[in-house]
Amino acid sequence: MMRFSQLRVWLLVVAVVTVLALAACSSDETGGGEAEPDKITAWAWDPYFNIAALEIAKESYGNKLELDVIENAQDDIVQKLNTGLSSGSMKGMPNIVLIEDQRAQGFLQSYPDAFFPIDEYFNLDDFAPYKLEPTSFDGKQYGLPFDTGVTGLFFRTDYLKEAGYTKEDLTNITWERYIEIGKDVKAKTGKDMITLDPNDLGIIRVMIQSAGSWYMKEDGKTVNLVDNEPLRKAFENYKAMMEADFVKANSDWSQFIAAFNSGDVATVPSGNWIAPSIEAEESQAGKWAVAPIPKLDIEGSVNASNQGGSSFYVLNIPGKEKAAEFLGKTFGSNKDFYQNLVVEVGALGTYTPASDGEAYQTENEFFGGQSVISDFSKWMEEIPSVNYGLHTYAIEDILAAEMQNYLKGKSLDDVLADAQAQAEAQLK
Amino acid sequence: MSKVVKRANQPYTINLKSTGSRLKKNYIGWLFILIATAGICIFYFYPMVQALLLSFQSGMGANLEYVGLDNYVRLFKDPTFIAALRNTFIYLLIQVPLMIILALFLSVLLNNATLKFKGFFRTAIFLPCVTSLVAYAVLFKYLFGEKGLINQFLLNLSIISQPLNWLSDPLLAKITIIIAITWRWTGYNMIFYLSALQNIDKSMYEAAEIDGASSLQQFFYITVPMLKPIILFTSIISTIGTLQIFDEIMNITNGGPGNATLSISMYIYNLSFEYSPDFGYAATVSYVIVILVVLLSLIQFKVAGDKK
Amino acid sequence: MKKLKSVGIYTFLSIAALVSIFPFLWMVVSMTNKSVDVTKGRLLPGRHLIENLNVLFESVNMVTALVNSTIIALITTFLTLLIGSLAGYGFEIYRTPGKDKVFNILLLSMMIPFAAIMIPLYRIFGRLSSTVPFLGIDTLAAVILPTVITAFFIFLFRQNTKMFAKELVEAGRIDGLSELGIFFRIYVPTMKTTYAAAAIIAFMNSWNNYLWPLVVLQSPEKQTIPLLISNLGAGYTPNFGVIMTAIVIGTLPTAVVFFVMQKYFVEGMMGSVKG
Repeated sequence: MMRFSQLRVWLLVVAVVTVLALAACSSDETGGGEAEPDKITAWAWDPYFNIAALEIAKESYGNKLELDVIENAQDDIVQKLNTGLSSGSMKGMPNIVLIEDQRAQGFLQSYPDAFFPIDEYFNLDDFAPYKLEPTSFDGKQYGLPFDTGVTGLFFRTDYLKEAGYTKEDLTNITWERYIEIGKDVKAKTGKDMITLDPNDLGIIRVMIQSAGSWYMKEDGKTVNLVDNEPLRKAFENYKAMMEADFVKANSDWSQFIAAFNSGDVATVPSGNWIAPSIEAEESQAGKWAVAPIPKLDIEGSVNASNQGGSSFYVLNIPGKEKAAEFLGKTFGSNKDFYQNLVVEVGALGTYTPASDGEAYQTENEFFGGQSVISDFSKWMEEIPSVNYGLHTYAIEDILAAEMQNYLKGKSLDDVLADAQAQAEAQLK
Repeated sequence: MSKVVKRANQPYTINLKSTGSRLKKNYIGWLFILIATAGICIFYFYPMVQALLLSFQSGMGANLEYVGLDNYVRLFKDPTFIAALRNTFIYLLIQVPLMIILALFLSVLLNNATLKFKGFFRTAIFLPCVTSLVAYAVLFKYLFGEKGLINQFLLNLSIISQPLNWLSDPLLAKITIIIAITWRWTGYNMIFYLSALQNIDKSMYEAAEIDGASSLQQFFYITVPMLKPIILFTSIISTIGTLQIFDEIMNITNGGPGNATLSISMYIYNLSFEYSPDFGYAATVSYVIVILVVLLSLIQFKVAGDKK
Repeated sequence: MKKLKSVGIYTFLSIAALVSIFPFLWMVVSMTNKSVDVTKGRLLPGRHLIENLNVLFESVNMVTALVNSTIIALITTFLTLLIGSLAGYGFEIYRTPGKDKVFNILLLSMMIPFAAIMIPLYRIFGRLSSTVPFLGIDTLAAVILPTVITAFFIFLFRQNTKMFAKELVEAGRIDGLSELGIFFRIYVPTMKTTYAAAAIIAFMNSWNNYLWPLVVLQSPEKQTIPLLISNLGAGYTPNFGVIMTAIVIGTLPTAVVFFVMQKYFVEGMMGSVKG
């Protein structure tokens, strides 16, 4: 009796294992000819920003579409998308996905057939040009531009006043002037001018884009470090700031936010999306204002730049037309929708016809009654367009390591030459 | 329980069995390991073979093509990889022995029958390894920040005269990582020792006590030899874990400053997801870990003299 | 002398416990603070606990994530222990040179970083999606299956079996038990402490598993705790008070499992002391 039941157990085990093995090794069934789904899915991050924007879009589309917005952190989306797309099976992939502009070329070129061109679904001329370049590839538009990432110089009016500076003194200045003011502010108020993370060269990127330059040449592929005058200038500014002893070091996002929430720094040069974090410290209401971002002291640099920002993409799977149509009718052309976006989410899009709308003119009491949105959308139109290319983050890691050497005294020529050589070796 | 332990200590001579019965036992033995073996073949070896094939390819994302041994040649010329390899070895050589000794020491202390608050100490020391990574990251950055608690503590004790840049100095950042790994995983290793210590017959200690052996002698002549299989186990697991160390680096320093704390796994992650994806080269770097672990495990088995 | 030694031991253990537990105190305190105060590193309790809990349970599907994580972790722990101990026992008790070779080969599977096999593994489950949908992408089974069969636990059980008195097996055979009967009636009860340790580790691994559930699960109603916490930390303005609340709640089950399981360590010890 015992023997018999034991035999059954083992037979079951063998059967299960066999089924599993067969199923796992069975061949791929082709995904073609699948019916169009009833439901469209979208992946995005940040419930208070991108997700909220999609929900508003859904509403303004009259809820005609069954849209399932799935929330995932940005890094998580990058991993899921890479895993799914490179495995070759499009199973489980969403119809719409949000991708950061600086990563977009990487995805578009790594998985050429995975994305669906959406040129026909909206009017390209309605969008700021700096936003179209990184979201298109091979003459086709793949991304529907979303939030801007236009930069501004957020500053504490009270600290600056104490040091003898007004808003005019900070408007349309160069980074050199910014450093002089910073030294003065530190001397007179004891407050640091800025907070920086040594591992994040975001400020360098802001500086070089204001001069229309990037880590890559215009083709998006040729490494452009050694003879890159704006980059050289940006490095010099960075070192000058470090040596001026007015930089409060931070090592992550929470410390970055804490630095200004706790009133330790006088200015925050950043993308416009930092505003809600600044406004989170209610006790500082009325003490902040925003000036245009400083520029580099070279020909062609303007007081406008970009940091962050992302766009929506449609995947080349059943439901793509529905998804593209939805994006086109909302993010692509609906002026009222953009007014709602500003009012309800505080998100500033790059759809230029929206900028004369009423909501854009609202005065923000936290920023001393300044029409912040209107200012940002003005600066947005001046942002120089650059091709972010493929390897922004790979090069940045190399530069961050070399920046440490530069700060320790290595000559700038050697620093950039070495970085160039490393990047070329790594990215061939 | 006590009955079983008693019986286990009685000397027992194994009967010589007939060949037929032995064959049957052998065949049943295979059945015992069948599910596990099949599962590992499907879910690990098949993907590993795929990854091995990938390591001979290169290209961005889905545009892979065979490049022969190019990736392996590229490894030796890649300064980032060499930096990652060096860092990983530094973690391995310093952190693993430190942690094993600390865990062993703690488990012996906690195994003392007369110790009070045992449950509290055990739980407290185990807790770090269940911490969520987000918490872990926020916390360590906060503790080791320029104005963090660690600096304030050291300043107050006048051990240092000005705040240390724990996270932005290349050497200190490595030390921070080693502290973080040790903090998180010592309790984990302790669990294995604690559970294994239960299997040691208490009468051996009693006999040693009568013979006048000190607790240190008991530790080295009874505890360590008896725990050898588990010490070997934890050393290998920790070696594998440290060679693959990722979470701590990713969340605390993100590899910086420069590449000062970059580990091999972190580099694999960067190659696959952070940079424009090159899964071929990433797979090549992964196989470096495999080769290293195999070599180190062989050495550990040899040192432990497991091959009887 | 003896007194001095025990003072030393208690001091050392207290320091170790304090260092280990400090972050948890901080997390619990941070649960009661708002985001701004958490980032400033405030060490005093605040009055925002209710607010944080409300945000967490209203705007995020915390309950669903807790249920999913619990189901996954319990099933994973049970299967991991069963399969791992069967194999560990099989390799050690029925030891033959052939099996030793198989064992050494199986160990290899631990050595490759998960990131390297993730994509092929995903492809397997992509295929399963069309043949056996209940095992395919976006199912809890897909999360569980690759994690229950690991060389780690086979290795763990085998090493512990080395310390198991093999005479008991022969004794069982003489008593007329079947081979499987010996395993379940003699080995399992004897190895209680090993099972307890393995259960803690298996539960913890499953509860905290991140990368694989992340790529294989898609729908929000299948989300697990680590994915939820990761989502909370994303974005331009994360709310750290809410994150800390989620982390404390998400950590509790593992702490409870440890508490329950460590009872077996104590029991095991008392048993051998008595013997």
